[in-house]
Amino acid sequence: MSTPQPPKWAERFLEWFCRDDLYNAIRGDLEELFARNYQKYGKRKASRLFIWHVILFFQPFAFKKKNRFTPSSPIPMFKHYLKVSWRNLVRQKMYAIIKIGGFSIGIALFVLISLFVRDELRVDQHYENGDRLFRILYANSDPTSDWSRGTTFPAPITYALKDHFPDIEKAGRLISFQFYDSGSNLFRPTDEANNIFEEGFVYADQELIEILEIPMVYGSRDNALSEPNSILISKRKANKYFPNQNPVGKTIILNDGESSPYVIGGVMENLKNSHLSSFDFFITLSGKEFWEGEQTGWNGGWVYSPYIRVRPGTDSKELEKKLSYIHENYVVKTFLQEGDQRADSIRKYGSIELQPVGDIHLKSHDVSDFLAVSDIRIVKLFSAIGIFILLLACINFINLSTAKSAKRAKEIGLRKAIGSRRSNLIQQFLSESIFVCAISVLLGAFLAWISIPQFNLIAGKEIVFPLSEWWFVPVLALLALVIGLIAGVYPSIYLSGFRPISVLSGNVSKGSQSPFFRSGLVIFQFMTSIVLIVGAFIVHQQMQFILNKELGFDKEQVLMIHGTNTLKEQLPEFKNELLRLSEVEYATVSDFFPVQGTYRNGDTFWKEGRSKVDEGVSGQIWSADPDYLDAMGMKLVEGRIFSLNMNSDSASILVNQKLVKELVLENPVGERITFWGQIWTIVGVIEDFHFDVMKDPIRPLALRRSELGTITSVKVNTQDMEATLTGIRNIWDQFKPNQPIRYTFLDESYARMYDDVGRTSKIFTAFAILAILVACLGLFALSAFMLEQRSKEISIRKVLGASLKSIFNLVTIDFLRPVFIGFLMAVPIGWYMMNRWLEDYTYRIEISWGAFAFAGGTALLIALLTISIESIKAALADPVENLRSE
Amino acid sequence: MKGTNLGEFEELVLLTVGILFDDAYGLAITDELAKQTGRKSTISSVHKALVRLEDKGYLSSHMGGATDSRGGRQKRLYQLTQSGIKVLQQTRETRNTMWGRIPKIVWEGGGV
Repeated sequence: MSTPQPPKWAERFLEWFCRDDLYNAIRGDLEELFARNYQKYGKRKASRLFIWHVILFFQPFAFKKKNRFTPSSPIPMFKHYLKVSWRNLVRQKMYAIIKIGGFSIGIALFVLISLFVRDELRVDQHYENGDRLFRILYANSDPTSDWSRGTTFPAPITYALKDHFPDIEKAGRLISFQFYDSGSNLFRPTDEANNIFEEGFVYADQELIEILEIPMVYGSRDNALSEPNSILISKRKANKYFPNQNPVGKTIILNDGESSPYVIGGVMENLKNSHLSSFDFFITLSGKEFWEGEQTGWNGGWVYSPYIRVRPGTDSKELEKKLSYIHENYVVKTFLQEGDQRADSIRKYGSIELQPVGDIHLKSHDVSDFLAVSDIRIVKLFSAIGIFILLLACINFINLSTAKSAKRAKEIGLRKAIGSRRSNLIQQFLSESIFVCAISVLLGAFLAWISIPQFNLIAGKEIVFPLSEWWFVPVLALLALVIGLIAGVYPSIYLSGFRPISVLSGNVSKGSQSPFFRSGLVIFQFMTSIVLIVGAFIVHQQMQFILNKELGFDKEQVLMIHGTNTLKEQLPEFKNELLRLSEVEYATVSDFFPVQGTYRNGDTFWKEGRSKVDEGVSGQIWSADPDYLDAMGMKLVEGRIFSLNMNSDSASILVNQKLVKELVLENPVGERITFWGQIWTIVGVIEDFHFDVMKDPIRPLALRRSELGTITSVKVNTQDMEATLTGIRNIWDQFKPNQPIRYTFLDESYARMYDDVGRTSKIFTAFAILAILVACLGLFALSAFMLEQRSKEISIRKVLGASLKSIFNLVTIDFLRPVFIGFLMAVPIGWYMMNRWLEDYTYRIEISWGAFAFAGGTALLIALLTISIESIKAALADPVENLRSE
Repeated sequence: MKGTNLGEFEELVLLTVGILFDDAYGLAITDELAKQTGRKSTISSVHKALVRLEDKGYLSSHMGGATDSRGGRQKRLYQLTQSGIKVLQQTRETRNTMWGRIPKIVWEGGGV
């Protein structure tokens, strides 16, 4: 009979949990007890008792001790970790520079982008009653229409709103585009003689400044604009014209209109973080009537943007639904009363919406607006790029830390041999990574700080580096901690996993233990870089396309002299004087030019007699003198130009080809069309020319005769622009000594329309350069490391007769493969992204393979150069040096 | 160092180690405790007390005396240390002193 045995699994359980030093004694005691019980009660009960006793031993005193060494304070250990980290950095200076440099570039960008995003997100978020402020929008759901939401209504909108909806506490209107005195003006205090050009004028109701809680310096927000002809000016303008005094009650004159001066009703703080922050002058709408019946009629004059404040507790969704009453009883009704055929489609597609004031800045991309708003999509794109670049930097960090593992393997083995546990090593590497990250964050913040002026320039912002704000330093510290942890987790787990015996016996772990992971990182980095290069390239191509496109007019050597309306009856004489200069080929007077910043209007055209029947075609009606086409280099396709001398030409117009096409005119010359409630005769057709940004299609346009205008445009033909300008300036000074001449060049004004494209192009380029820099730093360090690992292999190959070329190929191709895979992955992403961007443009380039070839070629070339630095060195190295020690 | 006061069970275990002198190991102590006090204790609670007493410095131990019935495993044999002996003496003295302080009348009264 064999000796009885207690249950095996219970023994194993005991062995698993029990302390080694107690195990034998306990196990012996239990077995002795088992033997005794076996004699006494038999096998089953003895086994049961054995199990029971094992379970009774399962309590803390008998457990295996995790770590017999528990330091009384963690601080000395952390000091030690920091010291070792520092020594490691100093010992391998190149790695340290690449590691910290790359990381801090990433962090600097991340900081800049975060500041940008913060700046965008806080616009209009500071109002006391922010959740009760709304802008009223007119929505148009007609799928064939080229606009979907507008901001303007006829003048009586606010009265109607307040009459019908007691929930609306205040309602005020705004006119922010070039319209009578809004936009830009020549400005002077009444007691001064010199006119100064000023921009940033708007019309506003008294209630608007109450709704938008305009902060005041002088005067009261409750009545600054309540009197007719009052004006509210910003602090910076008050300081400019009325230094060190309270200007309330003083009068100012716009455009030499001495008969109707404005009285300053108040001074406001310079507006910040507001969608209106570019405006400095608020002219009251109180008592204004731009034409007879304008303030009470719903038929036309859709120029007012209404803002409201609702009473507390109002359900804005409910209110929005109820606004259909206004639409039906005012908007639709007016069309019906006029017998307009469009009434049905307006009833069907039109509606009135509420937009929270806090959404105006970022969520208005489908709103036809006159305000310089931003776009949430840009903010999202920026955030994505910021996070991506930070991710790239983190990946580099991980890559470099694990690649260096061989250098650290002995240290890790030794630490383990003298009793470090894995958790200690993880702690060590995490604290090392946080330490390096803290250095990088400091350096990155410094980089961000010195580059903020440049960044502001590119991004068109006025961001102040928040160095003195209380939250800034804690946020940076948190950033260092979080990024340090994220970037340190993988290396610390990886490094701490080394087996001490194998590393100490010289079997140094290969850096390429996870080639899949590592080349995955390289693929990801180069994919991102290539996408950014493609983006930069295509945006640049589109910009070139815009600048060089056949526009239908000649923008070179055209000078626009602004503010010529103040010359009044002297204007024709001024024009004649200009023409007397030999360099001046043509001169023309108009309000309207094919660049932004000049006047725009709009109305609907019908064939004669069809205005109540057809839907009509909407378009622009510009005024110009007969020299307009010559001066602008536009082509007359058919007919003739109107003349100043023929009285019969007062109702003659020129139209563009688009208008001919949209109105379906077979023989346009001689046809009669209706707009402004008058009948006009077409005498000529001009070739289509671009007068809006390329995002929009060319719209119908009519040109009518006029001798007056705010701008006199001069076509010059000169080699010496300076001399010509002096000549023109002399003439101006003869006419208007009290008003400095203000001129712009047409081509510059045209280019300025596409500042945003240029900005996008610059930003993409900057991001692309930085991304590829970060990626190359990583690749460089990686190749240096890998070649160091393979130095013996390469030396042996050389000894055995391998040529330089074959060695170079051997080591290079390994690295170019992930770059190439990254390229393949970048193609669809880049194509999709840039196609989305180009979709906004009616006139656009097609994405060509050239962009991808360029981006891929650049990335491959840069990668190749990066790798070559080390691989050539490796291939040229004397094999004796590497093999001597064997 | 854990507290140096002695629990009642610990005191009994310490005394038992003294009684068993050169064969004081877990199971034997459990048996002797049952014999001396009539109360049954589990082997695990005895081991727990032994570990604590050794931590407190009242006991020392060495391995030895393997037998077949133990599957050839050695016993952990415990011995009283100097301080173990001292703490037993102190406990006894304290008790004696306190006994002496109880007025005779208490004994004569026979309790409530």
